[in-house]
Amino acid sequence: MQLFIRRYGTLIGFVAILIFFSVMLPGTFPTARNWLNITQQTSMLMVVAAGMTIVMVMGDFDLSVGSAASLAGIVAALMMAAGQPIWAAVAVALLVGLLGGAFNGAMVSLVGILPFIATLATMTMFSGIAFVVSGGKTISGRAIPEDFGNFARGGIPLGEWGGVAISLPNLSIIAIVVVLAVWVLLEQTTYGRRLYAIGGNMEAAHLSGIAVKRLRLIAFSLTGLAAAAGGLMYASRVASANPVQGSGLMLNAIAAVFLGTTMSRHGEPRILATVVGVIVLGVLDNGLTQMSVDSYVRQVLVGALILLAVAASSVTQGRR
Amino acid sequence: MSLNKSALAFAGILLATTALGTGAALAQAKVAIVTPYMAQPGTQFYVEAFQAVAAENDWDVNVIDTAGDVAAVISRIEDLVVQNVDAIVINVDPTQVTAGLQAAKDAGIPVFGMDAGADPLLVTNVTSNGYAMAAETSTYVADRIKGEGNVVMFVFDAFPPVQVRGVVADAVFGNFPDINVLDRVTPDVSDGGIADSRAKMEAILAANPEPGSIKAVWAAWDQPALGALQAIEDAGRSGEGIVITGIDANPQAREAIAAGGNFEASVAQDFAGIGATTAEAVARVLAGEEILQSVTYVPTKLVTVANAAE
Repeated sequence: MQLFIRRYGTLIGFVAILIFFSVMLPGTFPTARNWLNITQQTSMLMVVAAGMTIVMVMGDFDLSVGSAASLAGIVAALMMAAGQPIWAAVAVALLVGLLGGAFNGAMVSLVGILPFIATLATMTMFSGIAFVVSGGKTISGRAIPEDFGNFARGGIPLGEWGGVAISLPNLSIIAIVVVLAVWVLLEQTTYGRRLYAIGGNMEAAHLSGIAVKRLRLIAFSLTGLAAAAGGLMYASRVASANPVQGSGLMLNAIAAVFLGTTMSRHGEPRILATVVGVIVLGVLDNGLTQMSVDSYVRQVLVGALILLAVAASSVTQGRR
Repeated sequence: MSLNKSALAFAGILLATTALGTGAALAQAKVAIVTPYMAQPGTQFYVEAFQAVAAENDWDVNVIDTAGDVAAVISRIEDLVVQNVDAIVINVDPTQVTAGLQAAKDAGIPVFGMDAGADPLLVTNVTSNGYAMAAETSTYVADRIKGEGNVVMFVFDAFPPVQVRGVVADAVFGNFPDINVLDRVTPDVSDGGIADSRAKMEAILAANPEPGSIKAVWAAWDQPALGALQAIEDAGRSGEGIVITGIDANPQAREAIAAGGNFEASVAQDFAGIGATTAEAVARVLAGEEILQSVTYVPTKLVTVANAAE
């Protein structure tokens, strides 16, 4: 029974939230259009959180994802403003994310700095670089090609639902693809299993012949790449870039992964659990906005819910 | 045990939410304000004044602060569209939230800009008139120097809202045959604008050492005016009667104007007026009226030593 609650308490809570909003907002919450909105609204966080899951599997953190996301958006926007094609701007921005992540990985695995400290430092560095290259300005308006902003507004038409045309947003599709890729990586490959082994016991993993340093370096690189992808999605959604716009993603990504860990057997991060964590956060924002709950009260409720979920899971764990 | 506890806690949170969320009666018009900039002082004035008018009209107002997150503004607009509110007010650059504005337009929900920027997807944008503000200070300068002498201008043409101010000042000074624009300076604003404006002004003072060779400094916003003031005071030339004006009437500028030195005038935007006028525009549209102006201007106020302390 205890085990059941520990593993499924968060899921039960999630279902309770869904039922609650569906009862309170019967005409608007449980509609296809609203759910497609939610998948689009959470898509950027989904991608960043999926990347965060990779390093958190090893018990590591990456605090720099928000800054990396901002930097990627700025790099792409500056290139587009300078007349470069969109594909080149996107490719270079993703490369910046990958290299930034690799730098994190090098600091953590090769130099041996604690991830918390290393990525705290790079968080500041990436943010500083974003300010330096952009001059602190928001790049928007005609500097951003229309096609770049239109991408986030487009989608694949799914037909009509209650007289309203609905479509699967492009951003949601990207999020689904990234989640699938991370799922394959973590759950279906030797690489993924080795990351879990490192998370279980790094020393033992090392002694059993796993190339811990190399694997950690790659994991941090992938997290940086995902952060850059999330930053580009954000930039496309707002058709602009400023040097701080991704900063909110970091804490939410970590919160989503933590919410997810309350659903796994040993409290380890699992990508599908992270997906539920992200959706919980997105649903709360969406439902509480529709119920006209004050935005500051909403923040308190979201924080309380995270505490509650993690507490419920750790209390039962402690008693075991 | 802990199932009961967590179930109770969940129930508690959900109940609290119910109590918080369902205060509104069905007949009330639902109006939402979405802004990422609630922490900025001006925004709070807009919102408070808006709410005062909303209370008179008995609207159910939902103020949503996304705490700097512009993408979240789009998300919240989408939620409000699904909720089918009667009107949405934004306080953010509309070109950054086009996705949300388009969703509102498709659903037939009017969106108003509260000092947001003009956009075809907005019913109207309520803001201060940059042309009028510049006219106030440039005519102040021309009158104070009796229509003759050398004037130094601080402008910033790269930023459209400030560029229009410079255009008006050019026209006013150009209309006085005996006013000569000595220099039209664009300061480097990366450090906030005061320090570089001061350095530029020091150079101009050095190049024009004769007392009376500079009659006035007209700045398109307050920071260069403050920089020029520092330069003039440090050069020991505050006794020459050089007239300085700024625009925006920020606290530092008000302090300088109240002190009664060379910095004589600035222009204050009426933030509360912008909020109230936005609410009035919403009321007009909810009553079925069509608003033709894509921008609605709210009068501004000249700030001099007489009212700087207000």
